[in-house]
Amino acid sequence: MSLLDKLRAIVGPAHVLTGVESSPYVIEGRTPEAAVFPGTVDEVAAVVAQAAEASIPVVPWGGGSAIGVGVPPARAGLILVLQRLGAVLEHEPGDLTVTAQAGITLARLQSALRARGQWLSLDPADAECATLGGVLAANASGPRRHLYGTARDVLIGVSVVTADGSLVRGGGKVVKNVAGYDLPKLFIGSFGTLGVIVEASLKLRPLPDEERLVAVRFERAAEAGAALRALLASDLIPNAVDLLDTASAAALGLPSNPATLAVGFDGLGEQVDWQIAELAGVVVPCGGAKPTLLSPTTWPRLASAARDAFDAPAAIMTLSVLPGVVVDTIELGSEAARKRGLESAWCAHAGVGHVTAALRADGSRQDPAPIVAVLEEWRAVAHAGGGHASVAWAPLPVKSALPVWDDAGAAGRLMQRIKAQLDPNNVLNPGRFVGGI
Amino acid sequence: MATITATRKSALRRELETIVGSGGVLSEPDELLVYESDGLTLFRALADFIVFPTSAEQVAGVVRLANREGIPFVARGAGTGLAGGCLPAEGGLVISMMRMNRVLEIDYDNQIAVVEPGLVNLHLSWAVGPRGFYYAPDPSSQQACTIGGNIATNSGGPHTLKYGVTVNHVLGLEVVMPDGEIVWLGGKTRDGLGYDLPGVFVGSEGTFGIATKIVVRILKKPAAVKTVLAVFDRIEQASVAVSAIIARGLVPAAVEMIDQLTIQAVEDAFGCGYPRDAAAALLIELDGLAVGMAAQAERIAAACRESGAREVRTAANESERQLLWKGRKSAFGAYGRVSPAYMVMDGVIPRTRLPYVVARVNEIVAAHGLRVGNVFHAGDGNLHPNILYDPRKPGEEARVVAAGAEIMRVCAEVGGSISGEHGIGLEKADFMPFIFSAADLALMQRLKDAFNPRGLCNPGKVFPTRKSCVETGPVAYRPHAIETQGLAQRF
Repeated sequence: MSLLDKLRAIVGPAHVLTGVESSPYVIEGRTPEAAVFPGTVDEVAAVVAQAAEASIPVVPWGGGSAIGVGVPPARAGLILVLQRLGAVLEHEPGDLTVTAQAGITLARLQSALRARGQWLSLDPADAECATLGGVLAANASGPRRHLYGTARDVLIGVSVVTADGSLVRGGGKVVKNVAGYDLPKLFIGSFGTLGVIVEASLKLRPLPDEERLVAVRFERAAEAGAALRALLASDLIPNAVDLLDTASAAALGLPSNPATLAVGFDGLGEQVDWQIAELAGVVVPCGGAKPTLLSPTTWPRLASAARDAFDAPAAIMTLSVLPGVVVDTIELGSEAARKRGLESAWCAHAGVGHVTAALRADGSRQDPAPIVAVLEEWRAVAHAGGGHASVAWAPLPVKSALPVWDDAGAAGRLMQRIKAQLDPNNVLNPGRFVGGI
Repeated sequence: MATITATRKSALRRELETIVGSGGVLSEPDELLVYESDGLTLFRALADFIVFPTSAEQVAGVVRLANREGIPFVARGAGTGLAGGCLPAEGGLVISMMRMNRVLEIDYDNQIAVVEPGLVNLHLSWAVGPRGFYYAPDPSSQQACTIGGNIATNSGGPHTLKYGVTVNHVLGLEVVMPDGEIVWLGGKTRDGLGYDLPGVFVGSEGTFGIATKIVVRILKKPAAVKTVLAVFDRIEQASVAVSAIIARGLVPAAVEMIDQLTIQAVEDAFGCGYPRDAAAALLIELDGLAVGMAAQAERIAAACRESGAREVRTAANESERQLLWKGRKSAFGAYGRVSPAYMVMDGVIPRTRLPYVVARVNEIVAAHGLRVGNVFHAGDGNLHPNILYDPRKPGEEARVVAAGAEIMRVCAEVGGSISGEHGIGLEKADFMPFIFSAADLALMQRLKDAFNPRGLCNPGKVFPTRKSCVETGPVAYRPHAIETQGLAQRF
């Protein structure tokens, strides 16, 4: 029996797409052998086991929103689409925890939780298509990470199909647990290279009584920097502190100031009111305008403001720097693009030093060299700020001209050893991650 | 190493002294005795040497020597652990981190500090306190335990309900790997690159290497704090109140439960103002903005009253608040007034199962003819039943051990865990199969092999090894020297 026949026997013929039908699952120009849609965890395990036996790569695929992250694969292999694993398995509000299958979209999960007065404090872009498993595997985050952290702060348990097709659980369903190694941490941000996340247990939060987002506009970026420092040193407890440049503000339909701080607050009504009033006292002396209320519909667009600034970006980069240098990073980075005649857009979860930058494509030029040069300069800026930078998206000619991921140094060798231990035959999403993993 | 010859030992001692200096090595039997156990005193093992490095390079030198000689080694902080996690293998090296206790850097703008592993937990909060900051993870031994030890066990504490455990506050570590290489895992930025190596290193109980520098987050002290005591006539009511508070959309900084036996012991010892006739009390702390604090406290009080609280009162001032916390934090010490010894358990359960499990714990212990005091982190379902017993009475220790194993089984059965913050160490290694399958453990072993392929770094911990596990069971508590001296208490 051929591999495809075996796969059809496992998941049913209707759930194996090949040829032109698999074209939505082309990765960076590589056409997969098949896209497989398992309906149960056991089917996922059986598919991975078959792929391992046939030595064919397996690429886990949730909503596909982050599938372009990473080094272009040598071979697409089997696309393992997890969308049929979309159930909420356990949600006990009194425990403030949920267990769900990996293929549920973040939006559907949040709406199920919201119906019972709770939410998962992960708010990355593209919640309508991003799946829970994909958000975890990509360690995607959004504006509210300022107060509530990232996947590592909420994931308490995972079930994973490993490279040999066995089902392994790490962590548990309780909010505090030190039994054994913290396997959930290992799979966060691992981009499917160590195992296929099939189920996850997460800590939840009660929905706040009130939540509001305000904008503070600045005529000069340096003023935004001073206001940011003053805000972080104040007694206020914002749940989001995002910094937008002109282009990113425009993408959100905001006036074109050189810098805009989008600041969120949640809690009791009186707490939100008081904090917004106090915020004025913090930012106005630094040169900011009086805070103005933003529509709640702005929230889900904050994380992708830089990406959405241009119809056709030429490249997107994510920079991790110390919060104190975010404003300088944006200034230096914008200047680097400008001096090569390129336009850039910047947004940042400023309080935690997570910066996203996009370059506008110049339709008249096909030459990737200036784009590559700007990205290299951005990376140098991140290094100077004590951080690192990786290409989040770029066309193939750009990706082949510079390292997609930053250099993890000696830790990178340890990562390779972990990969070798967990996936010795290099079955899971091979060749796409940090250090060639 | 147990059969190490005198000649080899003196040669090794000289080599160790060239690495850490002549004042940095202990090898006399009476000196080694001090390091034969941690806070769990029933497990004991003697090392051949205790070494006291003062730099990462010295740690690396010692580790490379151990590798060359094939000698097992383990890092040790203050020795306040409760699971035997820092015990030496029989023979081998204990690498004490206590001379590496500096705060290296404080960056208030970026709200991080870089510290050495031997720094006492509370000393970090002292260092940053004058500028209005603190280090959030607050294990009860925080006046003695070290940040490095907290890294090993991923320590918790009462305020982890709102602020998370140690791993949520660690951004990066400089680590001496088990082969002696010095590697940075993570760094100062919030997001790392590649796999979350700091995330898996924290809580690896000393089996992945030895941290020599640690980047931690420091938090601003909350503007306001309110502490509420809710008093109940039945312990089930207190258990129900925990979920009722959560259901009202509140996440307090801490929700601690104290049962009657414990209240009476605490009142006898310290007179903290807990009602002696109460079946249970909840100590609930809110922190954050001053605005809205009163409204939140009212919601908490309503949830408690609805669950049957007979009294809900608020600490009127800081000294009243401190007194209530003293009662909670001194509970373990106070058991000394009612029992010569006790064994502390560390199970975790889903919050909603508290009424069932607390009742089951009491039944199990009673069925073994023993008494139990409960004082624990109710808000996150982390139980600390303390089984009281008299080690001089024949057979009593065996019954404690049997009851402890049954309690761990109950925690596992309701979907919980066998350890919330103390770690597996030696004590609970053989109970890992209660919650993990062979495949789960095999994956953990492969992860360990990536860090520690020769297995010389803290061998014999975390993984089930002993054949006689079920008969041996967990082991009982006896006060450690630092407790009897009043330097530490356990949570």
